[in-house]
Amino acid sequence: MNLFLFLNSWWVPFYGLIGAIVTLPWAMGTIRRTGPRPAAYFNLLMTVLAFVHSLVVLKDIWNQEPQSFLVTWLKTADLDLSFALDVSPVTVGAAVLITGLSLLAQIYTLGYMEKDWALARFFALMGFFEAALSGLALSDSLFLSYALLEMLTLSTYLLVGFWYAQPLVVTAARDAFLTKRVGDLLLLMGVVALATMAGSLNFSDLNEWAQTANLSPVNATLLGLALIAGPAGKCAQFPLHLWLDEAMEGPNPASVMRNSMVVAGGAFVLFKLQPILSLSPVALNALVVIGTVTAVGASLVSIAQIDIKRALSHSTSAYMGLVFIAVGLQQGGVALVLLFTHAIAKALLFMSAGSVIATTNTQDLTEMGGLWSRMPATTTAYIVGATGMVTLLPLGSFWAKLQWVENFITAPPWLVGVLLLVNGLTSLNLTRVFRLVFWGHSQPKTRRAPEVGWQMALPMVSLTVVTLLVPLLLQQWQLLPSWEAINRLAVVLLVASSATGLAIGSMIHLQRAWSRPIKLSWRVVQDLLSYDFYIDRLYGVTIVSAVALMSRLNAWIDRYVVDGLVNLVGLATIFGGESLKYSSSGQSQTYVLTILLGVCLLGLLVSWPLGFLIGWQF
Amino acid sequence: MLSALIWMPMLGAALIGFWPKGMNPNRSRLIALVAAGAACLWTLVIVSQFNPSHVGQQFSEFIPWIETLGLNYHLGVDGLSLPLLVLNGLLTCIAIYSSDVAIQRFRLYYALVLVLSAGVAGAFLAQDLLLFFLFYELELIPLYLLIAIWGGHRRGYAATKFLIYTAISGILILASFLGIVWLSSNTSFAYDPSRTQTLPLATQALLLLMLLIGFGIKMPLVPLHTWLPDAHVEASTPVSVLLAGVLLKLGTYGLLRFGMGLFPDAWNLLGPWLATWAVVSVLYGSFTAIAQKDMKKMVAFSSIGHMGYVLLAAAAATPLSTLATVLQMVSHGLISALMFLLVGVVYKKTGSRDLDVLSGLLNPERGLPLIGSLMVLGVMASAGTPGMIGFISEFLVFRGSFPVFPVQTLLSMLGTALTAVYFLNLMNRVFFGRLSEQVINLPRVQWSDRYPAIVLAVLIVLFGIQPNWLVHWSEPTTTAMNASFPVLTLRTHNFKFVTSQEGQELFSHAFKRTLALPEIPSPMSHTP
Repeated sequence: MNLFLFLNSWWVPFYGLIGAIVTLPWAMGTIRRTGPRPAAYFNLLMTVLAFVHSLVVLKDIWNQEPQSFLVTWLKTADLDLSFALDVSPVTVGAAVLITGLSLLAQIYTLGYMEKDWALARFFALMGFFEAALSGLALSDSLFLSYALLEMLTLSTYLLVGFWYAQPLVVTAARDAFLTKRVGDLLLLMGVVALATMAGSLNFSDLNEWAQTANLSPVNATLLGLALIAGPAGKCAQFPLHLWLDEAMEGPNPASVMRNSMVVAGGAFVLFKLQPILSLSPVALNALVVIGTVTAVGASLVSIAQIDIKRALSHSTSAYMGLVFIAVGLQQGGVALVLLFTHAIAKALLFMSAGSVIATTNTQDLTEMGGLWSRMPATTTAYIVGATGMVTLLPLGSFWAKLQWVENFITAPPWLVGVLLLVNGLTSLNLTRVFRLVFWGHSQPKTRRAPEVGWQMALPMVSLTVVTLLVPLLLQQWQLLPSWEAINRLAVVLLVASSATGLAIGSMIHLQRAWSRPIKLSWRVVQDLLSYDFYIDRLYGVTIVSAVALMSRLNAWIDRYVVDGLVNLVGLATIFGGESLKYSSSGQSQTYVLTILLGVCLLGLLVSWPLGFLIGWQF
Repeated sequence: MLSALIWMPMLGAALIGFWPKGMNPNRSRLIALVAAGAACLWTLVIVSQFNPSHVGQQFSEFIPWIETLGLNYHLGVDGLSLPLLVLNGLLTCIAIYSSDVAIQRFRLYYALVLVLSAGVAGAFLAQDLLLFFLFYELELIPLYLLIAIWGGHRRGYAATKFLIYTAISGILILASFLGIVWLSSNTSFAYDPSRTQTLPLATQALLLLMLLIGFGIKMPLVPLHTWLPDAHVEASTPVSVLLAGVLLKLGTYGLLRFGMGLFPDAWNLLGPWLATWAVVSVLYGSFTAIAQKDMKKMVAFSSIGHMGYVLLAAAAATPLSTLATVLQMVSHGLISALMFLLVGVVYKKTGSRDLDVLSGLLNPERGLPLIGSLMVLGVMASAGTPGMIGFISEFLVFRGSFPVFPVQTLLSMLGTALTAVYFLNLMNRVFFGRLSEQVINLPRVQWSDRYPAIVLAVLIVLFGIQPNWLVHWSEPTTTAMNASFPVLTLRTHNFKFVTSQEGQELFSHAFKRTLALPEIPSPMSHTP
């Protein structure tokens, strides 16, 4: 039985897909009689199956060598598109994490979207999401990974655009698709070039190829940058980070998945591409620069947000920036640990935020307060998630960041500074959000705020426990340093930065009706940060208006120049005919003259090019 | 065996047209459906009998016709024409099925659609240059009438424009065919690639250029395209489906069969120019589509962009890219047919195709939710989302062309991003948002409106997941198309070298070569 499950481990992504496909009749409104619930339960069942399956496989292969399957998909001419699947503890572990989180998010959905008429559509999309993500985890082929990233782009578009009747949602969905699409397009260019140069697109073959390849520096750089662009779009890195913030218009359970797993999916592909990226120093440096800019910028921006989900989502960008830096310095292991700990803590934070939103019916931080006594489970989840994110207590991120610091202490020291800054700012932001939501006096919208129902509480509490257990898991996987090997200086630095952030966060004056600071200079800074450095307007005046201008220009040329010429020829013909009709006067000598002229002209027209032909060819 | 594909629809048309009396709309519709369905099923029988590993014509039929002219009734099918024949059979059925039941002058209408289908099938089957030309012209008449009689407000303008453009295209093609036969001192119009080889290169280039413009009008390529948006906007939905799905393929098919097949050397010579032309076409079509307000016009311009990929792949002429042309033709046929069907349903129910008027049609209660969902699928397939046929065909196009024309390929790839831009705009404006006040009471969508679209959607996904089922039929033929020519085999050789481990110099060489377009040698140098 176990062997059977192991041999069919490629089946894991298909559970979600089957769930999505079976749900389609409900999702599109073809079956209305039963309501959306059966579809939801079927999807849950499928996710449970996927979770159990991957868990069994994980247990089986725990101490075994990674296995690889090769599925031949398309073999034609000189192109061989065979998908390699990698079944190793890391990849199956990722699948377990994905299906597990998806299961929790789906149970959570039952509560969060209880009264939504399009519940079935949501579950179909979640199944699709889960399928693409777990496929991404198992894939060992760049082609397959690219395809799955595109599927994620599609499902993100549909999930963000879930409540499509709202104008903000519509633009958010469009921006999400297009920014990711730009990244994906560049990635596709890289994939096509790699396929031509390396012959195979399986990561193992690519790694072999990368060791012997002697690319010219320009080509290597272009290739590396193209390959970075795809993950940068997925991980919401500067300059393709715009979408994640706007995507918070979508339903919260999807945000749970998106902020934890989808961004991690992009980073996972980047991690796998590391050997090829290392062909070009420029590409690696670009990774570090992109990561640094995003990490610092997004941390700052998150502080100025007054939307609870946006305040959290910008810190996702920031943490992915840290992952980019790690990959840029070729520390893939560190990147993976950070991805793992971040995914769990961030998922928990988003569940907590979702509970707050569901209860208070608002996402505005300034309208909240005093929830700690009314919603204890949610408050606990928030606190645990927040501590899992920063390095105050030895929860997940503490160990990940400790590794980060220890590995990079020899690298340029300013990188450690970046980490401490990001950590401190995140800590400040989380404290600020905590004070605004849970602390202080209650406001009208938070006065009658009962704790959420079990459908939301159960996954939230379970994930709280898991977050608390992350250090044990890490120990189990022997990822924790021994007691003696711990770098004391690093620990002190990390704790100090978190504590500073915490202290500032608890000290700063948070006015309730906190809309504008009085000083003009502060106001400018606040606007700059809260509007995300005006990046969307920057896009608006540059690339968007360029494309719009180009298209309008083209349409104008098409209509008035190309088509205008055609119509002019038509008009000239009709005009010629119309005016020539007056020449039928009855005078035969005019006719003869006209005929003579016509014959001469025709003869000239025919013989001239013919003469050329004959002169040249015969 | 193959003749049946031409004569079954013809018979159906004759039955409908010459039935003495008592022909009501339902009966003529039924006869048309039976004739088209029989032809479609017959294509499937041919597919089942087709031997994919055999290179060259199969099921040949040869009847001497006008011997003094060198014209023979010679039919045959190979891996290049087979998928297009199936596409023709399928889309004809769909077009007839989705025609308005209460259409005016129904007898003429159904008869014309069947004649159109027969003409297209004949053109795909013809193995004689003159016979191809006859069918190519034959298809023009019914299409002209279909647009001119059952079209929109400006149908006269659009139909005449179409007629003039296609007539010019026909004249150029005929001139080129006559040139091929007479200059190589032959008397027969039989399709025979070997004899053009004796012609001087400059003559070949000249003849090829005529074919290029002729078929370029049909495809259409920028700037020969302006008839297409007008024709699409004015034509009724089923005619649009046939026009985009099948008739444009005549242009690409002719280009591959006659341009690439008969003039390999000249093709090779013009290759870089053709690739650049393809880029212009792709980008021009895509950019113009962004600015359109009429959904049908947008889809029409998107057609122009997507047909550009076929030219790019054909210009590269590697085994993979030649295969990709077939895939891209089928993919565009299915996807554009789906898009036109859906736009047609929206137009029928709301009375508008204007992006500024429509909105929120995804509304589950009073909108068109299923049509909207299918539209999402069509849009995504067109933008090249994996899992659908649009992705794999475009990937093969790019992957096949990249080794030969890296710069042009990368530029063409921008077209996929632009496709996403305009089709997302369409989705967002028309289907997302709040249901607009002007179109609040929509009639119910019947299942009969949905079936054709669902069939196409299923095929799009099916071939996207399992492209082998498509590739399998055409691969030997397209590989053979490249292998039989000296210059192109050299190129094939280069290509294999590129894919090997140390193909770097060649890659950069190809890169440089494409940047510096080769000069066409002066025709004078070939004077004996």
